[in-house]
Amino acid sequence: MMNLMSLFRWILDLLFSPWLFVPLIFPGLVTVFLVILFIIWFERKLAAKVQLRYGPLYVLKQLGGAIQLVADLLRYLFAEPIIPAETDKLAFVLGPILLFGASCFPTVAIPVSSSFYAIRSDISLLVALGLLAFGPAITLIIGWASNNKFSLIGGLREGYITMAYEIPLFISALSMAALYGTMDLIEMVESQVGWKWGLLLNPLAAITFLILALMSTSRFPFEIVEAESEIVMGPFTEYSGILYGLTMGASYVKFYVLCLLFSIMFLGGWKPVPSFLSWDPIGPALVLLLKSLILMVLGVFMRAVYPRYRIDQALKIGWHMILPLSIGSVFLSLGLILLGVVP
Amino acid sequence: MSKGKSTPIGRLINHLEAIETGIKYLFIPRMTVMYPEEVMELPEGYRGMIKYNKEICISCGLCAQICPADAMKMYLEETSLAKGGEKQAKPKRYPGINYTRCIFCGFCVDICPTGAIEHVSIHDVAFDSFEAQIFKPKDFETGPPKVRYKKPPRRVKPRMDPKRGITYEPAD
Repeated sequence: MMNLMSLFRWILDLLFSPWLFVPLIFPGLVTVFLVILFIIWFERKLAAKVQLRYGPLYVLKQLGGAIQLVADLLRYLFAEPIIPAETDKLAFVLGPILLFGASCFPTVAIPVSSSFYAIRSDISLLVALGLLAFGPAITLIIGWASNNKFSLIGGLREGYITMAYEIPLFISALSMAALYGTMDLIEMVESQVGWKWGLLLNPLAAITFLILALMSTSRFPFEIVEAESEIVMGPFTEYSGILYGLTMGASYVKFYVLCLLFSIMFLGGWKPVPSFLSWDPIGPALVLLLKSLILMVLGVFMRAVYPRYRIDQALKIGWHMILPLSIGSVFLSLGLILLGVVP
Repeated sequence: MSKGKSTPIGRLINHLEAIETGIKYLFIPRMTVMYPEEVMELPEGYRGMIKYNKEICISCGLCAQICPADAMKMYLEETSLAKGGEKQAKPKRYPGINYTRCIFCGFCVDICPTGAIEHVSIHDVAFDSFEAQIFKPKDFETGPPKVRYKKPPRRVKPRMDPKRGITYEPAD
């Protein structure tokens, strides 16, 4: 009996050790899956409500069809993943797995609280953003490997739009790094004392980062890479079964990671932790998750409001508006430092 | 102010207005009719499936001629074929309908000189085979099958609301 208790204790300790908890539970794999299941269902419900209808309902009707995505996932799992004869098979099969993986990787660099993290690095912001930047390259490879005209067009669109969002995304993130004087995500949260949130200090960087987060994960109105009514499913046209499920989930995971980064950089991260939830790491994790979930809901709500921009319009927005705005946010940060608003 | 203009401020205002409209629609009640549980009352003169009265049919064939989808067809009377030969009068032809082709335009109902063909307020019938949807004159006469629901549905009727557009309220 004693032995069993100690075994249980050992497993619990192992699970709550940071190097396992962060990649596996929060903000890693388990939370990623729960967030995908929730947000895709909620996106469909929101769009349906705005269009005065119900959306998914009949799978567990008491909760408004909340486990619709579980049913979809099961369907994807048991559907046959067809690999067309003319594709580059290795790249075709590995592509979605790498894409999903690349979207999940950056979670290891995201701290859960001041004392709970998998890796502590002075450049953890750059680590997270750099790992995120793997995704578009893999999307390009998928687009080429699928050997399909829609995939190719989608892949090229991804290539174009990557150039338009990646640079301003890094600039607006780095403007916050300049403001706080650090690239360590933990120190960034520590610098946001009281209500001096990054959102209030540098709203320009916040708005550009949010728009670019929408753009980089093909949420509306920038759903250009997978424009369903134009190029079927963009780079992912040839996929079926669970491979398709992974490609669809990957953009949501990337959006989730960007929302985590946004809440850390602009919304005070895990602070303020309510006193009844002070148990590290659960309390801070819940606060961080709640903030990013609110952001994600805001992001997916755009589906109900906007149509889709053309690729040239999106590129114009990226290069002509967002890039100058993000450079402006750097100067805003420098001005705030010169004025002595931040220490 | 600068609404609708393509200045940066005007465009920003337009974006905010779009989002505001979306949020406003979140709080408007839904207009879905939950079909198998709720069934909409059909109005007078609804173009549903078609009933046929052989007693007053004069076999003029106009319905088959007017049918734009080629769903109506005249069939030779079966009984006269079976007897065969025995100083029979010229066999008559009667219409049958193919519901895989019918577009429910109601031309046949309009053109029928004796009113032998008319609509009934049934439109939600499922067939289990392709052949079952082709009604020979004999089946055509018995009319479309009865609709069966698992549970008796609530009846609703549409009402035009000046503010919200179409809404549904319980019938009777």
